[in-house]
Amino acid sequence: MSICISYDSSFNGFLSAVFEIYSQHLDVENFIPDRDTDAPADLFLQFFRVETSEDSAMRLRRAIVNQASEDVLNLLETAFLSEERGIEMKVLAYLRKLFAGDDPNYGKNPASLEMLPLYKIAGSVRHEAGNMLGMVRFSKGPGNFYIAKIEPKYDILLMMESHFRNRFAFEKWIIYDSKRKYALLHDRVGESKVVTLPGEESFVKAIQSDGFTQLWQDYYKSIAIKERENPKLLKRCLPVRYWKNLPERQAARTPAL
Amino acid sequence: MDVREKLNILSAAAKYDVSCTSSGSRRSAPPRGLGDACPAGICHTWSSDGRCISLLKVLLSNACKYDCAYCANRRSNDIPRATFTPKEVIDLTLEFYRRNYIEGLFLSSAVVGSPDYTMELLVKVAKELRTVHRFGGYIHLKSIPGASEKLLYEAGLYADRTSVNIEVPSERSLTYLAPDKNYASVYAPMNYFAERKIEYGGSRGRYTPNFLPAGQSTQMIVGASGESDFQILTLSAGFYKQQRLKRVYFSGYVPVNADKRLPAITTKPPLLREHRLYQADWLMRFYNFEYNEILDEKNPNLDLYLDPKAGWALRHLELFPIDIQTADYEMLLRVPGIGVKSAKLIVSGRRYCKVRLENLKKMGVVLKRAKYFIYHPDIPASLRRLYPEMIRPLLLPRPKSGQLDLFDSNPIALPSPTIAMAPAMPTIAPAPAMPALPIAV
Repeated sequence: MSICISYDSSFNGFLSAVFEIYSQHLDVENFIPDRDTDAPADLFLQFFRVETSEDSAMRLRRAIVNQASEDVLNLLETAFLSEERGIEMKVLAYLRKLFAGDDPNYGKNPASLEMLPLYKIAGSVRHEAGNMLGMVRFSKGPGNFYIAKIEPKYDILLMMESHFRNRFAFEKWIIYDSKRKYALLHDRVGESKVVTLPGEESFVKAIQSDGFTQLWQDYYKSIAIKERENPKLLKRCLPVRYWKNLPERQAARTPAL
Repeated sequence: MDVREKLNILSAAAKYDVSCTSSGSRRSAPPRGLGDACPAGICHTWSSDGRCISLLKVLLSNACKYDCAYCANRRSNDIPRATFTPKEVIDLTLEFYRRNYIEGLFLSSAVVGSPDYTMELLVKVAKELRTVHRFGGYIHLKSIPGASEKLLYEAGLYADRTSVNIEVPSERSLTYLAPDKNYASVYAPMNYFAERKIEYGGSRGRYTPNFLPAGQSTQMIVGASGESDFQILTLSAGFYKQQRLKRVYFSGYVPVNADKRLPAITTKPPLLREHRLYQADWLMRFYNFEYNEILDEKNPNLDLYLDPKAGWALRHLELFPIDIQTADYEMLLRVPGIGVKSAKLIVSGRRYCKVRLENLKKMGVVLKRAKYFIYHPDIPASLRRLYPEMIRPLLLPRPKSGQLDLFDSNPIALPSPTIAMAPAMPTIAPAPAMPALPIAV
């Protein structure tokens, strides 16, 4: 009977699972991360729980770096952050080919059949992380804190950490991922940490527009050239799913009174 | 007049400047300062015309003393005028920046008083941002034609990028449309910056200033005067080579003034032409094309229906098909449907195994266009034997066939017999009489 592995949704958890697969010769059909609570149940699969072990994850990381490179490990982790259903099996397929040892150069080939889909997925995760750097909108909250709420498709909050830490080194700020329910807090120079918020509602309530938000909305309206209006292009560059956290698009959406 | 009103007027006045990039400069946050610059540039939002907004793009003043025919802010227009004080611009920039609305400031201005006076105001804002407020974000300053070199030098010290717009792609049209301007005054600041960039660009010592790290750009209006695309590309290729510009922007002319020297006020902006020019520009910057390969005197204008790369390939079918397993990178780049990313993937992937057709698709190659130009065992050989006249219609986008509407007020008329018959019976031109061969008996 094939098995279905459940793990704690972290990359290290996944690597530990892969480690177990190799050491116990498991025939795996599927992975179910803990965050995926409404995954379709499969009658014909046996569940198998793997606890995260930092040790085996480290060993596997080292093996990937030795067999392929640091970049490949990075790419796998980035692709994993997409949280797509079935991404684990794609990474596993790649690792199987990599460790099979049929082709000594397999790890260097970016155009192999198993690598290309991962390459594409990692590309779109990086793309969103890059875009999100510009689409975080802070508003001034209590205690001189600049607070922002984002709702990215992929789990990219930690990929943006160093950017904001360098840029706003002497400000205090929080960025909250409302989809994954955790936040990045920075209140001292050179230090930022992952926190979970005690009260989500009071946080969201604290995000309020002030005079500069109004000025920004005005600016956004007057910088567009009416004769060149192009809603299709706008939606391609700035997908609608981001609009609710962007004050300039919200003002554009509410009909004029 | 309060800041809000001024911002509305002065940002609307700045909107015809196309450039809004924040790329090309790596600047770490100054000690105890605010902000840095990211070399890739970051877009913060997109306006409803689909253009990226990454900078706070405003004029310092729109009270211009010049009277250029194509400009919305010209002296003879009756529009509300406003002028920011330097402090207002600085406050706006810093507060917007802290809220992560923008990547920095794009400051331009109409010419107020003298060019030197205007330039001094612009430099003052940049200087105060950098020195007093320790601002490390991106600053783009417009250089005013006719400003003194001392001011330009200071602008280069504080700004990441400067630009001066050539606006009209030939000097004759420029002096006709903008009597107060000439090419010499526009080229002077450009050349000055280009020379200083070379001077400070070599070996960087401790005291070498970080002079204008993101270089310069310029912009020209397309469709306001009668220049051909070939003239425009020639001019921009010269800018890239001689003045070492980072970007040349094209702006499809949006009629703002009723002026007898310009196209009628009802003309639509030539967006497709602008798009094709940008495609040609990309070919020059990323695909190693020369301007005279894309166009020449015989074909002075870009094909509006076909992208310039496909156009070039159809004129040079003798170079195709190429074998993607062996062709060099430069040649791969020239295949329609293969871009920089996929060309790189092909080159690095084919070292290890043959590149298969399904892999090409996954890399992002547009096989719909590429299949006529590459050799691959899985592509039918008949495709490679086509003539350019036969390939061209295959490359064009197909007209969309919408579903017919049952209640359409003007239904599609059945082709009347005369029309339907017309193609069936082409009038055969009488063949020229064959000259009788003189047969020697």
